Amino acid sequence: MFKAVTNNIVFFINGFTLTLELAILGIIGGIILGALLGLGRISKNKFVYYFVSVYINILRSIPLILVIFWFYFFMPIISGRSFTPFFSATISFIIFESAYFAEIFRSGYQSISKDLVSAALSTGMKHTQIARYILIPIAFKRMLPSLVTQAIITFQDTSLAFVIGLREFVRSASIVDNIEVRSIQIYGFVAIVFFIFCFSGSKIATYFETANKKTGLS
Amino acid sequence: MITITDVCKWYGKPEVLKNINVTIERNQTVVICGPSGSGKSTLLRCINGIEKYQKGEIIVNGISLNDPKTDLYKLRRNIGMVFQHFALYPHMTALQNICIAPIKVLNWSKHKAEKEAMVFLEQVGMGSNAQAHPAELSGGQQQRVAIGRALIMKPQIVLFDEPTSALDPEAIKGILDIMISLAKSGMTIVCVTHEMGFAKEVADNIIFIDKGEIIEQGAYEEFFINTKTDRAKDFLKQIL
Amino acid sequence: MTFAYHYNWSVLWSQPYITWWMHGIRLTLEIGFFAWIIALSGIFIGTLRSSSSGWLHFLPTAYTEIFRNVPFLVQLFMWYFAFPMIFPDTIRIYINHIIGFNYYIAIIALGLYTASRIAEHMRAGLASIETMEYEAALSTGMTRYQMYRHVIIPHALIIIIPTLTTEFLTIFKNSSVAMTIGVAETTFTSYRIASTTFHGLEATTGAMTIYLLLSLTIVKISGIIESKVRIPGMAGR
Repeated sequence: MFKAVTNNIVFFINGFTLTLELAILGIIGGIILGALLGLGRISKNKFVYYFVSVYINILRSIPLILVIFWFYFFMPIISGRSFTPFFSATISFIIFESAYFAEIFRSGYQSISKDLVSAALSTGMKHTQIARYILIPIAFKRMLPSLVTQAIITFQDTSLAFVIGLREFVRSASIVDNIEVRSIQIYGFVAIVFFIFCFSGSKIATYFETANKKTGLS
Repeated sequence: MITITDVCKWYGKPEVLKNINVTIERNQTVVICGPSGSGKSTLLRCINGIEKYQKGEIIVNGISLNDPKTDLYKLRRNIGMVFQHFALYPHMTALQNICIAPIKVLNWSKHKAEKEAMVFLEQVGMGSNAQAHPAELSGGQQQRVAIGRALIMKPQIVLFDEPTSALDPEAIKGILDIMISLAKSGMTIVCVTHEMGFAKEVADNIIFIDKGEIIEQGAYEEFFINTKTDRAKDFLKQIL
Repeated sequence: MTFAYHYNWSVLWSQPYITWWMHGIRLTLEIGFFAWIIALSGIFIGTLRSSSSGWLHFLPTAYTEIFRNVPFLVQLFMWYFAFPMIFPDTIRIYINHIIGFNYYIAIIALGLYTASRIAEHMRAGLASIETMEYEAALSTGMTRYQMYRHVIIPHALIIIIPTLTTEFLTIFKNSSVAMTIGVAETTFTSYRIASTTFHGLEATTGAMTIYLLLSLTIVKISGIIESKVRIPGMAGR
């Protein structure tokens, strides 16, 4: 039944590998940049705060496809040379997803009560120790479910790199479909693969959330 | 032990603390009371340098908090603190909550810290809850753990910031009993509270603060029976 | 390789581009609005999932999980390319000749996708209501239906209003994916101008501005709505 898929399985695997690479780079880059932007969102420095807020709000109100296009057209102009679609797409994902990760980090940072810091200080702990043993572990545990959820969304979002001709999973499928004309099997297969990964991911997120509820961290 | 001289603090207008002068001797128990927002907790937080003040001087154990050379972190090891809402670390068990500071600050071995911590937990009747997370404990139980967390550092002074005001009546008694025996054992205690039974039993000095100023201070009889100011009389009428 | 780039912002307002833009904006708005009407069924789906057992619990659960965990682009292709294939050739030829087939498919696909997201918000909203409230409603003699209809669902809706606003913004953003099946909405327009004039930077910047203005308008309007339905003591945004 899935002959159109099995006959082209190497092609699909290559596409999926590219999707995974794109997702991993986007997630890691997005989390690092997002953690910093999140700090900017709680900054007492007015300039930093407004700059970061405007950046985040603009990115959150435009479609990802447009961001992908924009970097695809814009990067050659500012740098004066052309880039591979993969590089351009990776930058777009990091920039775009960081705006969403930033809001997760902001609420994670804000969820820690001031008394907790005072309590740690009163036992003689240094600020670096407080950050390492109290603040970061709590914030990270609290944010973990949302971070996993956003990582799943990033993984799904990579399919949109389709539009600049990148041969990721969905583009590979559409190329195969143009030859084989077996849309149900081919896109059905793509949907099942995505579903397995994303559904497992969402179960992991739920697991972390339940664990947090048990320990009173949510 | 603690000398507070002309301390003023402000975020803008009005002042949060105005010309505070207090002397606390070794082994004394001092109760601070006053209406909410009067600056009681702020004064307490100034004593271990968690809050800064703009004017005046606080000397603890002969060390000035103003002195830029003073290592506040080191000073705080000798001053324990207990909070109204417990402020336990939610991601750690009761035992871990108590052990983290001795392990990280005093470089105790994990084994030693846990052994000591168990002694404190047994003392406050929490031996069987060592592995529980704060969310699994009642308010009274959490506060017992929080007291253990302060005491394991072997402090010379313990600051209590309204330790019973978030608790139900049964739990209040348990916590007060622990505090009273602590006071009787000779610990220097500064406690913000409205529990006048506690004040009567152990307080050497009661300080009444309103709008950032010390209105009245004295021993129990002096403060309760021969109350001088109207403001203090009004306040006492409301809480008794 | 280096090359000098000459900006030409007139692709935003000169003819024929302005006509293309207008058409694109109209399609973005239409797809978003019509899909939203379908998507609101998510409120019902989420409630059904939370309040039932057996098949009536399983079906909405399966629906929500499947539609949430497959990328919207793949869903769109399923509807556009795969869905007509289940019909015999005679009917499929007829389907392929429907004018604006891709436009209708975009609306349906986006509506069903967003419905699953709204269903999930509704489930979370209902879960956040305390058991006490259910018991209180039942203790006043209400039936289960009355309890949901008059107490629980209105409460849950108030809780999820901020997330509904976000979804409403998202539906217009997601409508841009319809360009991949050739719907000439705003993003498609910028792409079309990019490929005919080679002024992709100006065109995509123009499209970004349009989405930004659309978002600002929606945020403004929903702010007014939220302040109207806000209940004292319930946390706002």
